[in-house]
Amino acid sequence: MSDRVNIRRLATGVPGLDNLLGGGLPEFSFNLIAGTPGSGKTTLAHQIMFSLANADNRALFFTVLGEPALKMLRYQQQFPFFDIDKVNESIRFVNLSADLLDGHFGHVLARITEEVKDFSPCFVFVDSFRSVVQSGKGDTTKGMPDLQRFIQQLGMQMTSWQATTFLIGEYLAEESESSPIFTVADGILWLSQNLHRNSVVRKMQVVKMRGQSQATGLHTFRINDEGIQVFPRAIIKPGIEAGSTIAESDRERRIPVGVPGLDEMLGGGLPFGYSMLVVGPSGSGKTILATQFLAEGVRRGEAGVIAAFEKSPSQLLSKQLNAMVADGKVGVIDTRSLDLSIDQILHDLIEMIGRLQAKRVVIDSLSGFELALAPEFQEDFRVSLYRMIAELTNIGVTILMTSELEDRYTDLRFSPFGSAFLADAIIVQRYIEITGQFKRVTSVVKVRGSEHSKDIRFFDITDEGIILGETLSEYDGIMSGRPTVSQ
Amino acid sequence: METSGRSRHQIIQSLTEQNTGNVAATAINQWELMAAQIISIVGEGGFNALYLRSAFLASSIFPWLATPSLSIQVDDRFANLRTSLEGQTPEQASAANGLLLITFSDILASLIGEDLTTRILRSAWDIDAPSQAGKEFNHE
Repeated sequence: MSDRVNIRRLATGVPGLDNLLGGGLPEFSFNLIAGTPGSGKTTLAHQIMFSLANADNRALFFTVLGEPALKMLRYQQQFPFFDIDKVNESIRFVNLSADLLDGHFGHVLARITEEVKDFSPCFVFVDSFRSVVQSGKGDTTKGMPDLQRFIQQLGMQMTSWQATTFLIGEYLAEESESSPIFTVADGILWLSQNLHRNSVVRKMQVVKMRGQSQATGLHTFRINDEGIQVFPRAIIKPGIEAGSTIAESDRERRIPVGVPGLDEMLGGGLPFGYSMLVVGPSGSGKTILATQFLAEGVRRGEAGVIAAFEKSPSQLLSKQLNAMVADGKVGVIDTRSLDLSIDQILHDLIEMIGRLQAKRVVIDSLSGFELALAPEFQEDFRVSLYRMIAELTNIGVTILMTSELEDRYTDLRFSPFGSAFLADAIIVQRYIEITGQFKRVTSVVKVRGSEHSKDIRFFDITDEGIILGETLSEYDGIMSGRPTVSQ
Repeated sequence: METSGRSRHQIIQSLTEQNTGNVAATAINQWELMAAQIISIVGEGGFNALYLRSAFLASSIFPWLATPSLSIQVDDRFANLRTSLEGQTPEQASAANGLLLITFSDILASLIGEDLTTRILRSAWDIDAPSQAGKEFNHE
């Protein structure tokens, strides 16, 4: 056991990337950073390099065919990770374009080998290669076999240097299968930016990471003034069902929701770690219920987090909620951007939940949430939402989501997203017409694995919040909006 | 920012002021040291573009710098500059070379920043600490 090779995992310094890689970058691995132009390859490489390189672990950065090195230095300096003090001391930039002038890759390879010997770096980056293979045209391109052979040789050499190495190249997706370099590489990071309608979403995929269980699938990342930040896609870990990390003692616990009488209707409160959906038409009192839910938590010393998609932070919600936010008892997730991915929201939520030790989370509302996402993510909103809820309930928070219900007076729906099945509990709010008045009624439709009241009750909204009224026992067809007196 | 800018200009000024013997030969040597550093980082093409631009700008004051084209021979890329400098009085040559160096490094600094530029120049001419450059200048 102790004789086995123990592979050190290096922290990349890119937020979120280590999770994606399955714990970090294996030392001495040969990695390919591939992607389309403008997808952030060089920025990613630089961020990793500046984070890893120091006086004892030096890095060599070769520029070959990519953007002019002058421009690269000019623009990369804008990022805070670009530490000028490391340049020339622990990081050396080497331009190889002269060695490539005669088109002889042998010279380039010789030069690279020589520089590596000379500087004995721990990290080597070669940026970048545009593959000359164009899809469809195939093998007739002259010089292509040379380049292929060169890259393959480079790959072989790189593995033998006792250095962690990176080859940065422009590739089209179709080439990935034909290019031998993809076979040689230990790790492949694929970056892309996808245009969907009017929004651009950056995605990263760890196609391969030898010896580690990387997070599969496409993960969104963003490049801002700080550099690259990756948002690992929420994945329900195999063998872990939602809520399974919740302590046994907590399982039986019920969470008071903060509306007198509603806990009894729920069978004694909302079970711990449940997600509850509150559906109702506009103005029915969903946000008020959500606010009371958070306030009840605060009263019991439990912090909360709200992702409010319905209102802009400036005109934030009720006075009650504002006060809780001002006291730092409730955190608000910034949801102003309209190009969000669900994983960004989840990332921000989890971070804030951790920071505040929050126990209650409100998402107000799912309709607003969907609108705030980049169009690309709206298509699989339900799937992503499912993953997100699973992830959140798994870390032991209880969730209240609101969802707008269209005012249809002839049929009954719980959610326009068909997301009702995602919720462990459902509360419906409705307007009904009765003796010439609009009245509000509410009912508990579902509490998974628990007894609950089947009553339909009037409720009013007062300055004190939601006040439950009497049960409508003598009417039929209430939920259709047009009740008739029972015969 | 401004102080580090002055320090780069100071370095160049003190270099050219020290250059009292064979002006052309010393100047070319300094250019070659600098070129080697910069080319290794940004490549031949990047260096040539910067050099041609600075020679063009400097030729508005010293018109005889106007044929600055770099020699194709890499090991003697400053042959034309040498010829131009040798054709002038030492004072003229020194002033022109100083202006050319300042212009060149100004352009480079405008692209990759003062800090990195000064770092590259120091390393090319083997000038270590910032204080040392200042001291040399004070002695003059």
